[in-house]
Amino acid sequence: MTILVIARNTFKEAVRDRILYLLFFFSALTIGLARVLAVLTVGDRVKVVKDVGLASIGFFGALMAILIGTGLVYKEIEKRTIFTLISKPIRRAEFLLGKFCGLVLTLAVMIGAMTVVFLFVVFLHTGAFESRMLLAVFFIFLELVLLTAVAILFSSFSTPILSALFALSFYLIGHFSWSIETLIKKTAPGTGRVILRIIATILPDLENFNIKTEVVQNLPLPGTLWLGAVGYSVVYTAFVLLLAVVIFRRRDFV
Amino acid sequence: MGKRILSTGLILLSLAAVAGFKVMLDGAERAKIPGAGIVYLPSGPAVKAATFGYSSLMADIAYVWAIQYYGNTNIPERAQNFNRIFQVIADLDPHWVDPYLTAALIAHYDFQNPELALKAYDDGWARNPQEWIFPFEAGHYCQMYLKDFARAKAYFEKAMAVPGSPDIVKRLFANAAYKTMDYQTSWETWKEVYETATDPQIKKIASNHLYNVKAAIDIAALKSVLDRFREARGRPARDLEELVAARLIKYVPKDFDGKDYLYDPETSEIKTAVNPWKR
Amino acid sequence: MGNVLELRDVRKTFRPGFIPKKKEVLKGVSFTVAQGEIFGYLGPNGAGKTSTIKCVLGLIFPDAGSISLFGRSPLDPRSKEKLGFLPENPYFYDYLSAREFLDFYAQLFRVPKAERAGRIDRLLRLVDLESAADVHLRKFSRGMLQRVGLAQALINEPEFVILDEPLGGLDPLGRKDIRDIILGLRDAGKTVLFTSHILQDIEMICDHVAIVVGGRIQNLGRLSDLVSEKILFTEVTVSGVDEEALARFGKRVSIRDGRILLKVFDEADVQPLLDAVRERGGRIHALVPRTQTLEDIFVETVARQ
Repeated sequence: MTILVIARNTFKEAVRDRILYLLFFFSALTIGLARVLAVLTVGDRVKVVKDVGLASIGFFGALMAILIGTGLVYKEIEKRTIFTLISKPIRRAEFLLGKFCGLVLTLAVMIGAMTVVFLFVVFLHTGAFESRMLLAVFFIFLELVLLTAVAILFSSFSTPILSALFALSFYLIGHFSWSIETLIKKTAPGTGRVILRIIATILPDLENFNIKTEVVQNLPLPGTLWLGAVGYSVVYTAFVLLLAVVIFRRRDFV
Repeated sequence: MGKRILSTGLILLSLAAVAGFKVMLDGAERAKIPGAGIVYLPSGPAVKAATFGYSSLMADIAYVWAIQYYGNTNIPERAQNFNRIFQVIADLDPHWVDPYLTAALIAHYDFQNPELALKAYDDGWARNPQEWIFPFEAGHYCQMYLKDFARAKAYFEKAMAVPGSPDIVKRLFANAAYKTMDYQTSWETWKEVYETATDPQIKKIASNHLYNVKAAIDIAALKSVLDRFREARGRPARDLEELVAARLIKYVPKDFDGKDYLYDPETSEIKTAVNPWKR
Repeated sequence: MGNVLELRDVRKTFRPGFIPKKKEVLKGVSFTVAQGEIFGYLGPNGAGKTSTIKCVLGLIFPDAGSISLFGRSPLDPRSKEKLGFLPENPYFYDYLSAREFLDFYAQLFRVPKAERAGRIDRLLRLVDLESAADVHLRKFSRGMLQRVGLAQALINEPEFVILDEPLGGLDPLGRKDIRDIILGLRDAGKTVLFTSHILQDIEMICDHVAIVVGGRIQNLGRLSDLVSEKILFTEVTVSGVDEEALARFGKRVSIRDGRILLKVFDEADVQPLLDAVRERGGRIHALVPRTQTLEDIFVETVARQ
């Protein structure tokens, strides 16, 4: 399948990008430093290690997705490697999707590596293999898949720096969803509120992928959350990729 | 053309699906543990280090968030995290006055915890000894809600000592001293106010207070003398001159204006001839 | 014998960025490439050569006109199954080795796994890159990149190969190699379209030629039709004879080291000139008839604009 060929090639390309290893290094460092942070906090130290560890994976994973994703398509256009590629029997959509899948694969590998480090550090504290952490990592991964799609969307028409800014904004907006909820509550019922509701529904709510509290505190995870999160990630990603394909399709490569 | 319709259709469809899942997720019950959200908030210095020099910005954000948080009466664990949160804000930006004041407000109105409110003022004062507003507000709080004039007096004294504090602090101090029956201090302070006042209004107020304090001092003294007289003679004095005759006092004190006090032998009450506030 | 490529009145205007100013790059380009021929597409810089090629490949979308590649639209991936393309100044994935690079494209064309290795080896041998097969493209020189690019263009054993400035930046030996490969393709029944500035190469191997200037085809036809066989003048180099004696045969161009270079415009004057030289005991060093070259036509066409 064409998409797979491109994906594999993209994986090769991404895996050789030095920034991946730099970020991995810092992530591992942060997870290790969680031990130090634990000392400064009042309360259960293990919980701090878990929370910092998960936050680190989430944050550095997001950076990886954004920093590499925003360069992926742009580089091909800039370096003209895309000329040769388009002259082959491949659809533009297949090209984009291939890039996406390749990066997702890369992220899966990197997240996996970070998780190994994380579980090891947790093991040092608790002496047990906390499989519940994997749940949180899975949700983080769902979020990163969406973020990758966003990075690729912007990469298909904008320079890496702008794309990175947009993608980062998407990430931040997604995590400040509580502020728009507060705003809605404070708005008097009426058209204003309805408009805000619509905006709130369309804006990304990345907190849905944040189950750190549930996992670390051993709280139950309702089924709707499971289904909802997976579904949300899938359809939002589909939406973003569709946009990317549509924009990319009519693009002149001068 | 067909392709375009297909793509637009798919985009709208996926958008609708996004909305659908979002609504579904909003409905999902996320369990809340009291204080769960804040348990990992490390101590101030750690947070400060983590904010890379943007600590006052972080303080702003934390403060605004805290106001929303405390404005939401539905959160049961608000009280638990109160100290921690405002400590962190204070650590991030110790010289910012508002959070301390707001914390005191919240402590009082939300939690009905006066000691917590005063602690907020004390914290602010400890880190900002040049901000008279802290002991000023604290003093107000003590006399208004706790009716504790002794503490109010101590606070006002501190506030008074700060250069640049407004004149009214002195007056509040004098008043608090009066209320705690420290008439001497009250008298002296009011005298100072009277002598240094340039505003005739203030002078009048000071003079009224001086009248009042003197009256209090005099009446208290006279009362004890009257008691001694009654004990000795077995009956209340007929008038104040009798006390002089009995050699219990050297002379009958006059009020601040030089007028007589009114003595009612029936009730043994001594009153001022005029209302001090309406002289 | 069908037409491999047909362009009809292709137009394209660019609106760079948000500036309302327009740049009309293609103003109605039409030509046809028949199967089995070598087609030369020339023009000065900025004439629209690469833009035309990009339209053919589906990299840019013409505003008007039609393009038929193997009877299909360039947007149909199937039209590229039997197409090979080498871009100008090729950039390739520098993190891949030559072999990995060719393997990637082989996979895109769904070349069966069993065949891939063999085909790659053959192509590497053809472009003389066998020794550098496992070197990363990052380390390739310009000439090497050109050659691996050509290999990539042939990876699917295409029927039609488009080469954008394939001879640029190569030394004369390299150019000869590429020319031989192109001729070899034609001999095998393939069709080749290439653009070039180096007119001698076009003249040497092309069957059909189109000259594009300012976004329009100014000259189109078989090379033999465009370039007449007529002799423009003959250059004769002689010595040992006085200049005046030769003046009536032709125009003296230069005298150096006792040798006189004459331009004889009338063919009929050549033989009498030779006789005259021999009569006077002089020597004839060179005799070169100059016909019209493609360069002459090119310069003339461009000058016309």
